Amino acid sequence: MGLAVMVIALTACNNSNTKEEKKTNDTANTAAMAAPVTGGSSVKDVVEHYLHIKNALTKDDGKEAANGGKALADVFGKFDQSSLTAEQKKTFTDIQADAKEHAEHISVNAEKIAHQREHFATLSKDVYDLVKSLGGGQTLYNDFCPMYNNNKGATWLSETKDIKNPYLGKAMPTCGNVKETIQ
Amino acid sequence: MRLAKKIALLLLVILIAIQFIQPARNKSGQVLPTDILRTVPVSPAVRALLKTGCYDCHSNNTNYPWYANVQPIGWILNGHIQKGKAELNFSEFGSYTVRRQKSKMKSIESQVNDNGMPLASYTWIHKNARLSKENKVLIIDWVTKTNEAISTKQ
Repeated sequence: MGLAVMVIALTACNNSNTKEEKKTNDTANTAAMAAPVTGGSSVKDVVEHYLHIKNALTKDDGKEAANGGKALADVFGKFDQSSLTAEQKKTFTDIQADAKEHAEHISVNAEKIAHQREHFATLSKDVYDLVKSLGGGQTLYNDFCPMYNNNKGATWLSETKDIKNPYLGKAMPTCGNVKETIQ
Repeated sequence: MRLAKKIALLLLVILIAIQFIQPARNKSGQVLPTDILRTVPVSPAVRALLKTGCYDCHSNNTNYPWYANVQPIGWILNGHIQKGKAELNFSEFGSYTVRRQKSKMKSIESQVNDNGMPLASYTWIHKNARLSKENKVLIIDWVTKTNEAISTKQ
């Protein structure tokens, strides 16, 4: 009987400990994430999560692409526009409405990688326009795959000069060429 | 046995009760100036395909079947309509930005190509909404032309 009480007390103690720990962690995370650029996200975050999706698709990993899609949709949702010029704001609003939707679709279609890729194609155009207008914060390569979508072709952005194709994935990893280098 | 009877009776009462909870109808009865039919050129053939295959869930005017009055079927239909309209609403197409219009056109093309839309559960009941090969070609040609028209408008 005494033992049982002790066990319960211990468990209760443990529970509250883990909870508290988790809470502190959460706050720490939010603080760390919110630290750069006055609370909101920036183009840098957009590019980071876009590349996350891209790299997952090169590996035919729909689940990881979905994770990236979710993060990208979040980032578009809390973008900090305070440093943008009026013209840039216009461009951003236009792109945001469309790109967020594509990111969301990618996030809920982990099992349908072909569908993710369809949205990724349009998303790539959106992120390209965004980077061209606001700057990408790093060197990016605009690549072109002529074979995708019944030879209609599609573009994507990459952080490396080497071609790693997100549309054909492991089936044809090196299909495509660099069309433009964005500094 | 008596318990089974009681349960059956209870279910019947519930079924009757829920008939009184009718979701609001998706029927504005008017064609908005932002309707795609007023925004971009649509041939009569494509127009008919859109009306029979898409407008029930992707516009402000649903052509309801009789069983929409039967619950919970009506609720399920309502859910589909709300989701469909959030994704793409042909009645409000003209209010979308040029970028979004083009993006939606592209999605229409890929959905039709991949047999994603119209939903199989929809064409199972609405046999006339099934897209033949020729119908698909019609729609995809229209998408291509429309996208060009939207681009030059910009």
